[in-house]
Amino acid sequence: MTEGFTGGAGTTEHRPDIDWEAVERSPEFRELVKRKKAFVIPATLFFLAWYFGFIILAGYAPDFMGREFITDGLTVGYVFALTQFVMTWVLGWMYLRKADRVFDPLAARARESALELIGATDARGTPESGRRFRRGAIVDEPATPSTTSEEVPRQ
Amino acid sequence: MTYIAAVNETALAVFAIVVGVTMVVTYFASKRVSTATDFWAAGRGLTGPQNGFAIAGDYMSAASFLGIAGLIFLFGFDGFLYSVGFLVAFLTVLFLLAERMRNSGKYTIADTLAYRMKQKPARAAAALGTLSVVAFYLIAQMVGAGVLIEGLVGIDFWLAVVLTGAFMIIYIVAGGMLATSWVQIIKAFLLMSAAIVMTIWVLAKIGWNPLDLFRDARGKSAEGEAYLEPGLFLSTPLDTVSLGLGLVLGTAGLPHILMRFFTVPNAKAARGSVMWAMVLIGSFYVMTTALGFGARAILGRGGEEAAGPTGNFALPTLADELGGELFLAIIAGVAFATILAVVAGLVISASGAVAHDVWSNIVRSGRDSEREEVWVAKIAALSIGAIAIAIAVIGGEGLNISFMVGLAFAVAASANFPALLLALTWRRFNTTGAVVGVLFGVISSVALVVISPTVWPGPDSEGGALSWYSLANPGIISIPLGFIGCFLGTMLAREPAAEAKFDELYVRSETGLGAEVATGLTLTGGGGRRRTAAAATATIPRL
Repeated sequence: MTEGFTGGAGTTEHRPDIDWEAVERSPEFRELVKRKKAFVIPATLFFLAWYFGFIILAGYAPDFMGREFITDGLTVGYVFALTQFVMTWVLGWMYLRKADRVFDPLAARARESALELIGATDARGTPESGRRFRRGAIVDEPATPSTTSEEVPRQ
Repeated sequence: MTYIAAVNETALAVFAIVVGVTMVVTYFASKRVSTATDFWAAGRGLTGPQNGFAIAGDYMSAASFLGIAGLIFLFGFDGFLYSVGFLVAFLTVLFLLAERMRNSGKYTIADTLAYRMKQKPARAAAALGTLSVVAFYLIAQMVGAGVLIEGLVGIDFWLAVVLTGAFMIIYIVAGGMLATSWVQIIKAFLLMSAAIVMTIWVLAKIGWNPLDLFRDARGKSAEGEAYLEPGLFLSTPLDTVSLGLGLVLGTAGLPHILMRFFTVPNAKAARGSVMWAMVLIGSFYVMTTALGFGARAILGRGGEEAAGPTGNFALPTLADELGGELFLAIIAGVAFATILAVVAGLVISASGAVAHDVWSNIVRSGRDSEREEVWVAKIAALSIGAIAIAIAVIGGEGLNISFMVGLAFAVAASANFPALLLALTWRRFNTTGAVVGVLFGVISSVALVVISPTVWPGPDSEGGALSWYSLANPGIISIPLGFIGCFLGTMLAREPAAEAKFDELYVRSETGLGAEVATGLTLTGGGGRRRTAAAATATIPRL
C-alpha cells in the first residue's frame, strides 16, 4: 500500500519536523487533555442521560408524558422537550466559555512548547529561528495564543 | 398529488428571485475560486457566524421545515421528537468532533479518518460511508423537491427535479464551496425570516398566548387527549428509542455537515459556528412546533386533505389561509431555497469523496496536480448531480422519502461516526478496524431497513421479512454493530505504523498544531485569485 505522504495535491501534509511524541508527553498537553476530559466526559454523559430519559419516557410512558400540569393543554412531555432545547444552548455556551478561558490558552502553550523544541533542534540553532516560527504561527490565530486565561477575547 | 392544478405564476416569480440572487452570488464566487482549498473549503475564510448560518442552511432540509411541521399537524407530539433529536445532536458534534475535524482535516472526513492509516483502504472505506449517506439523502431531497414544487407551483414533477438538479450543479461547478456556503447562508436567513413572520402571524390569530396553541390544537384533533401524548406516529417504544439514538449520533456522521468545519480559519471559529447553528436550528424548531400546532388550531380537520398523507402541505395550506396567494408563493420560494442549499451541500461533499479520496489518493496515489483534482471534482459533481436527477425522475414520486432520510442518518451514525470517533481517540484503532467498522455500519443499516416492515416487501407495506423483527429505525442494532466492527477489525490486525502516528493526530486534533491554514478567500473582497495564489505560495510556517 502506498503511504503517499510525499506532498502531492491530495495528501494531507505532515510535519516531520515536529516531535509529536514529545509534545504528547509534555505537561502542557497533558494538562490540556486532562482539563478537556474533565469537562467533556461529564457533560456528554449528562446530555445523553437527559436526552435518553426523554426518549425512553416518550416511548414507554406516553401516559405520563401526556399528563397536564400548570395550565390546560401543557403536558409533561412538552415541558421535558423544551428543557432539551435549554440544555443544548446552556451546555454549548458553557463549553464555549470553558474553551475560550481554559482550553485555548493551554493549547497555545502546548503549541509553543512544541515549536520551542523545533527552535532548539533547528539547523541554525538560534533562538530567533524559534521565535520566527512562533510569530508566523500566529497568523491564522485571531486570538493571541500566549495570553493568560481570562484575557482571551470572546468570539 | 397536486395541490394547485394550474401553474402558480406568483410562486414562479418568487422562485426566479431566489434563483437570481443565488446566481449573482455564484458569479462572484466563480471569479475567486481556483485552488482545491477554495473549491472544497472556501479558502477556510468564513467567520464563525457565517459558518453557523451555513451549517443551519445545510442541515435544515425541506423535511425539517415542511415535514416536521406536517408531522406535528397530523400526529402532535411525535413530530416534536424529531426536532429534539436533530438539535441535541449538535452537542455530540460540538463536544466530540467539530474542533478536532477542523484541526486534523483538509477537505473530506477521510482526511481525518485515514490520517494515520493505510491511505487506500481507509480512504475507500470513508468514501463508501460518505457516498452511501449522500446517495440516500440526496435522492430523498430530489424526490421531495419534485413533489413539493409540483404541488406548490404546478409544474411537472420531472421538470421540477431537473431544474433543482441543474441549479445545484451550477452552484458547485462554477462557485465551489464559496458559492454553496453563501447559498446556504441566504437560505438560512430566508428560512428563519419566514418562520418568524409566520409564527407571529399564527400567535396573532390565536390571541398571543402560546400556551393556548396546545389547547386549541387538541380541540381540533380527532385524537383528543392522545394528540398531546407520544405514540400516534411512533407506536413501538423500542423504535422510538432506536430513532432517538440514530438522530443524536447521526448528525455527527453526516459528511456534508462535518465538511463545513474545514471552511473556517481555526478551531475557535469552528466551535463558535456550532453555537450559532444551535441557536438558529433550536429556535427554528421551536417555531416549527408552534406552526404545526398553529396549522392544527387554525385549519382543523378540514386541512387534513390539503396537507396530504405525509402532512408536507400543512404549512403551505396554513400560509394560504393566513396571507393568501402571495404569502403561499413566498413560503414556496423559501422551501425551494431550502432544498437547493441542502442538495448543493450534499453534492459538494460527495465530490470531495470522489475526487479527493478516490481519484487523488487511491487512483493517482497523491501524485496528481491540484488543478487536476479540482477538475475531477467538478466532473464528479456534474456526474453525481446527473445520476441523482435520473434516479429521482425514473423512481418518481413513489419513492419512499422518509425511509431514505432515516437510512442516511442510520448509515451516518453506524458507519461514519464510530470510525471517526475511534480514529481520533483510540490509539490501538487501525485500518482493518476502520474498514470492517464502516462495512458493518453500512451493510447492517441498509439490510435492516430493507427487511423492516416499512419497506419489505413493497413501499409502506405492513409485514416485514422476519416476523420477529419489526423495527423501522435500525440505529439501536446497527450503531453497536458499527462499533463492534471497528473493535473486531482492530483486534484482527496489529498496525504499529497507525499506532505510532496516533500521537501526531492526537496532538494536532487537540491543539491545532500543524493544522491547515486559511488562505483568506471572501466573496466580495478584493484580490480574489491573486491573493489566494499569494497566500498559497507564501512560506508561512504552518501551525
